[in-house]
Amino acid sequence: METFLCGTAIAGVVVLSIFLYLLNTARKKVAPKTAFGKKDYAPLYLSIADRPQSIIQGMDRLRIDVDKTEKAGDKWRWIPLLIFFAGIGMALIDVLLFLLGYVSFVFSAGGLVLWIAAIVMARSLRRSDTQDFPPRYSGLKQIVQILRDDLRPGSTFLGHLDLTGAMLNTKVARETRDTQDRTTQYFRDEWLALKAKLYDGNVIRVSAIQKSKKRKSYMKRSRISGKYKSKPEKFKGTEHDLKVRIVVNPEVYIMDANPKVKQGQSIGKYTITTLNTEGGIINLVASSPFEEVEHENILGVLQSAYSLLQRKAA
Amino acid sequence: MSKKIIPFVVAFILVCLIMVVAGVFAFSGALAAEKFGSDIVWSKAYPTAESMKVIDLTGDGQDELFIQNTSNITVFDGAGNVMWSFEYASPKTTLGDVNGDGVEDIIVYYTGTGMSVDIISKGQVTTLAQTLSIGFPARVAVIRFASGPQIVLGDNEGNILSLGLDGQPRWSSALGAAEVRGMDDALIGGQPHAAIATNDGAIAVFDAQGGQVWFHTQEQLRRMRAFDLNSDGNSEVITGGEYGAFHIYNAADGSLLFEKSLGQAVSEVRIVELNGDPSSREIVVGGKDGGVWAFSFDGTTAAQLWTGSLSDKVTEIAGIDINEDGKEEAVIGDDSGKVAVFTENGARNNLPPQYSGVTRIDVGRLNGERYVVIADGSNVEANRVNFNSIPGFQYMPLIVGLIVSAIILVIAAIIASVPPKPELKVSFQDKSRESLEAERRMLKESIADVERLRKSGEVTGDAYLARLKRLRADLADNETAFKTAGHQIKVETFKCPNCGGTLELGMDKCEYCGQVILS
Repeated sequence: METFLCGTAIAGVVVLSIFLYLLNTARKKVAPKTAFGKKDYAPLYLSIADRPQSIIQGMDRLRIDVDKTEKAGDKWRWIPLLIFFAGIGMALIDVLLFLLGYVSFVFSAGGLVLWIAAIVMARSLRRSDTQDFPPRYSGLKQIVQILRDDLRPGSTFLGHLDLTGAMLNTKVARETRDTQDRTTQYFRDEWLALKAKLYDGNVIRVSAIQKSKKRKSYMKRSRISGKYKSKPEKFKGTEHDLKVRIVVNPEVYIMDANPKVKQGQSIGKYTITTLNTEGGIINLVASSPFEEVEHENILGVLQSAYSLLQRKAA
Repeated sequence: MSKKIIPFVVAFILVCLIMVVAGVFAFSGALAAEKFGSDIVWSKAYPTAESMKVIDLTGDGQDELFIQNTSNITVFDGAGNVMWSFEYASPKTTLGDVNGDGVEDIIVYYTGTGMSVDIISKGQVTTLAQTLSIGFPARVAVIRFASGPQIVLGDNEGNILSLGLDGQPRWSSALGAAEVRGMDDALIGGQPHAAIATNDGAIAVFDAQGGQVWFHTQEQLRRMRAFDLNSDGNSEVITGGEYGAFHIYNAADGSLLFEKSLGQAVSEVRIVELNGDPSSREIVVGGKDGGVWAFSFDGTTAAQLWTGSLSDKVTEIAGIDINEDGKEEAVIGDDSGKVAVFTENGARNNLPPQYSGVTRIDVGRLNGERYVVIADGSNVEANRVNFNSIPGFQYMPLIVGLIVSAIILVIAAIIASVPPKPELKVSFQDKSRESLEAERRMLKESIADVERLRKSGEVTGDAYLARLKRLRADLADNETAFKTAGHQIKVETFKCPNCGGTLELGMDKCEYCGQVILS
């Protein structure tokens, strides 16, 4: 009797686990959070060397393709759960036969195969899920759309949009150790690099860099109990740098000091930290302590940098 | 292979596997939905039966139920009414026609005036012999020797005494020094002999004059039975030991035909025609701890068919063709009162349990109907055993296999219909020469930027190499795009033969893996 009860309990736990797994996969997947509580987005990398219209169309096409795959998976999302219930139904036939005095495992075996098939199908459909696109993706599209009319005819935007993650191991710029032997990692993520030859003969280079800091997990000995404890890794903050470099066409522009654009001046979420206009080249570095900067802020800095130029009289 | 084809290929392989397994189960007959049940037709009080047999003891063509315990011999008619009942002291009985009237008689070896033997023929008791020179009754058998029938008596000290049908002693012998535990007629060259075994492990076959044809000793013995398993005119003597030894001897010369250790004391051995093939006989063995084994004997040796178990010591085994398929099922009872039917393949089906330990089971026709008669510690019951099955259930694996296969194919179709997930690393690249050259310049500037960052200490180690590797790979892609578009390009990169990372021409050591490169 004990064996029967124990076997029934184990089978019940297994069946319940399969049911909960399939129910979880049947629901729309919610984007997981990172270790530091931030939303995890799709790891996108765009290499850009094309005309604005092609870039915009390509970005739209990518989004449509991803949506198409996701919708195709969504359509069948509840099928594995239905197959699971079909398996339960088959097992119940054996239970019915048992109640009638017959011993049969044929239908239960069939049900078991159906459950395995349901799990395989659920996993397969789950692969069609994609995390949400990061806001920076549509931000770049906005930037390209706004700058497209200023581009020299026939030329292309060049650069990349790297949204694979700001704190990957490949993006560790340096590491430091403190007196307690704790390691702090400094990440440098140049997530946007854009270069374009403009209609007015200027060449503009924009580089958006996210700098993050993280202390790695470490073992610490308690002063009271003497036991070793593991301390989790800790996010120590992030900041953004925006580097703008404009090589000015001297035939069209002269440099003009603008009192509104100077070192220490705030532009949206950014604050200008370096401004150099020597040699006919504008070098501007703006920093932001905010965790996220929107494309409007980047465009604001570009507009401010351009306000240092004055068109020569015809 | 197309990604749309792969799910169907996998599904096809799975479907084939499932259908093969289903086919094996369906056509091997291993699966059947069968159930056995029993209804009590009548029940009478009769404590602790030692011997029981459904047999015609009146000559009317109708079987009666003979039953005997340590103090009584009773015969019930087919309806369970007592026909005769006799009190005896410590009787041991056997059945056989000793008066030649064609009707089986009851031969009783008991403690009366000394050790005595009575014959009960059609309810009439006749004393055949008294004050016999033999000990306390242990076994009695009627052996139809070629020279005429003899009544062979065995006592609890291994003494043997043979009587003629006139009650006069024919011969006597001694075998071992313990209780006679088995006495059966064994054929040698078609002629009956007496196979006798004692509790201390002595086994011998005696001829009509009391001479030993052969003698053998083995471990302490609990059961001995003799059957001509292959109908060759020579019986096989089957023994079960106190410590699990299961032996089959040739009755003609005592040679050992088969032996196996069963791991528990053998408490019962019977012949049951399990497979319905008369060219071989099946032996069902019960153990003291509830073990059940079935063996098939083909004339030279035995092979184990299956094993099963009951809850307690197996006390009785009987064969009956319950489902009328020409194969007997083994009805087995144990000391805790459980009764189970074991089929040809060893599947166990429980019958309603008895209130106390089963002592005897026999099968036969009573009142024109086939009954299984079960005697336990307090009662004897005639049971009508019934059998039910779901017709065609053996092909159910094929139906289940088809359902599962259909669902697997549907799953494959759904998986194939989902488009592949798009690549999340995308390149938007204009193929014009100007654009490619601009991109190339940009990449070189970026490489220079990374070098500058390294020199300034802003980027160190792995991050520098990872960024450099990516930019160089982009540069190699740019060169490929140049070539694809048919433009002239001076190649500046190559791949590391060890790690595949892109390097600049002229480098003699891979920066990523340290491989020395000879060029």
